[in-house]
Amino acid sequence: MKIEAIVGSNKRLSYNRKLLQFMKNHFTGDEIHINEIKDFPMFNENYPDGEKDHDPELVTELAERIEAADAVIIGCPEYNHSVPSALKSVIEWLSYRIHPLHGKPIMIVGASIHPQGSSRSQTHLREILDSPGVFAEVFPGNEFFLGTAKTAFDEDGELINQGTVGFLEQCFEGFKKFATEIDDFNGVK
Amino acid sequence: MKLVAIVGTNADFSYNRKLLEYMKWHFRRAAEIEVLEVKQLPPFNEDLPYSEQTEVWRFNNKINNADGVIIATPEYDHSIPAALKSGLEWLSYKHKTMKEKPVMIVGVSYGTQGTSRAQQQLRQMLLSPDLNSNVLPGNEVLIGNAAKTFDKNGFVTDIKVVHNLEDSFAAFNRFVKSNMRYLEEGDDNMTEPHISSEAKVQFRTGSLKVKEIQQIFNTLPFEIDFIDDTDHFAYYSDKPNREHVRHPSEIGESVEECHPPKALPAVKAIMDSFKLGTKDHVERCLPLNGHKVWINYYAVRDENGRYLGTMEFTGNVGHLVNLVKDGKFDGFPDATSGASKHDDDSEATGPVASESADATTGASEHDEENEDKTE
Ligand SMILES: Cc1cc2nc3c(=O)[nH]c(=O)nc-3n(C[C@H](O)[C@H](O)[C@H](O)COP(=O)(O)O)c2cc1C
Ligand SMILES: Cc1cc2nc3c(=O)[nH]c(=O)nc-3n(C[C@H](O)[C@H](O)[C@H](O)COP(=O)(O)O)c2cc1C
Repeated sequence: MKIEAIVGSNKRLSYNRKLLQFMKNHFTGDEIHINEIKDFPMFNENYPDGEKDHDPELVTELAERIEAADAVIIGCPEYNHSVPSALKSVIEWLSYRIHPLHGKPIMIVGASIHPQGSSRSQTHLREILDSPGVFAEVFPGNEFFLGTAKTAFDEDGELINQGTVGFLEQCFEGFKKFATEIDDFNGVK
Repeated sequence: MKLVAIVGTNADFSYNRKLLEYMKWHFRRAAEIEVLEVKQLPPFNEDLPYSEQTEVWRFNNKINNADGVIIATPEYDHSIPAALKSGLEWLSYKHKTMKEKPVMIVGVSYGTQGTSRAQQQLRQMLLSPDLNSNVLPGNEVLIGNAAKTFDKNGFVTDIKVVHNLEDSFAAFNRFVKSNMRYLEEGDDNMTEPHISSEAKVQFRTGSLKVKEIQQIFNTLPFEIDFIDDTDHFAYYSDKPNREHVRHPSEIGESVEECHPPKALPAVKAIMDSFKLGTKDHVERCLPLNGHKVWINYYAVRDENGRYLGTMEFTGNVGHLVNLVKDGKFDGFPDATSGASKHDDDSEATGPVASESADATTGASEHDEENEDKTE
């Protein structure tokens, strides 16, 4: 399966990036490509300076990759019990002039340095992805959050806790099944 | 009552901005409302060097000094716009600016829901531990059909919406005031002298009543700020028409909190030199508020030379400059030119007097654009 993964953090050192990199290396049977959002401009209706009908190149490139993919995974940090502005801004770009997430199967995962592990931001992200401008197909149930992320990885970026790895595998298998059904339903491939 | 109102979008044209402009006008008798824009702030990023974020510092300061905050949020994808979220992230980062701040949420949307889902999420964000605000309960202002809400002069056209705003604002007014009372009661010991204002303080050179001391400081033609030996803002004189407008809530702030990050290294350098004893005085000339302002920093010491704090002595010297220009001092004997040089910069002497440079030069390197609290 071809999957576009989005790192929801604009930080140099991000546990959500680590988590997605782990997934990319772990699920070798599938092709996971990791996208960074750090250089995306803040969403602005008047970007750049009053021009009405053009999106930043980074946005259109990401949109093209998403269109071409079977599914999307978002690694979502938690800031103030919600989605970080850097990630929200990208979703706004993807729901304004173009709507590449429309009907796209999406899996949400998240890491946080606190024990709750981004649970509240994931709830907000679900609401956002459900809104009519985005209209994505979010994988229900199966919430994967990685709490106390600082101690979750070893030096090679492997998740230390095998129970966590097992649960992630289970979620991912379920997601692929879900994505296939959605894509069939939408007439993709 | 002093409020700030945050426009929750970076769009050039915004109905939410219009709403705040309307509220500023409509509630002008009850509160002084300053409208703030999040589009001036850089997108939040932990990797940005915080000390260079002067706009963030300004934004924090304005909110710090306000009695309450109104946030007007649009709804983007059933949540608040990223531009507003980014502003909130800055406010929760490093400082706890929003902690226990009374907040009122309002919102206008293009559709009929009037930002109800965005407001729900915003409430949850404001209650998270890093923001920790006192959000006004109940009292929802959800304005749909934005395009029909305002007339061409910016007035709200629907009387039901006007009443909704008035009721909610009245509730917020009470909410803010009860919060202020709570803060003032906590502050009582700080603002009232501990001893009776009739009490006399005995100095070597005479005695003064506490109220006389207070009024002498307030009557001086120069304003005084004092940072104590723990680097906290301890006192300012209540002179009318100060060049640097201060607020009692700033008392107790650390030097880091009461200066813009860019100015901080220069301020700290001055204080370090005062503590070490390498300097006793630094002066600066600055245009401020359209005045010729002369600022002097003095090391205040006990008789043994131990540093007690830094006094900032600030005043408009335009009148003096004019007196000189008008020749009011012309023809006065120029008292022993050599001696006066010494008098003027006594701080230029030191253990090795010939080597010590002019102690006042450091001041001009100071970044003036960032002069604290004045703009
Ligand atoms: C402004 C700000 C707000 C935060 N708020 C939360 C929060 O509400 N809940 C939480 O679990 N962690 C919070 N954190 C900590 C993040 O979990 C932590 O920074 C984490 O490393 C972010 O993910 P990343 O490593 O992928 O960037 C916050 C961090 C910042 C900078
Ligand atoms: C990216 C984007 C997403 C939007 N999502 C919503 C939405 O979920 N619900 C809604 O009522 N309006 C939505 N709108 C429309 C806004 O309500 C409308 O643009 C409104 O004028 C924004 O407020 P403002 O005029 O203060 O900028 C969205 C607009 C944009 C640009």
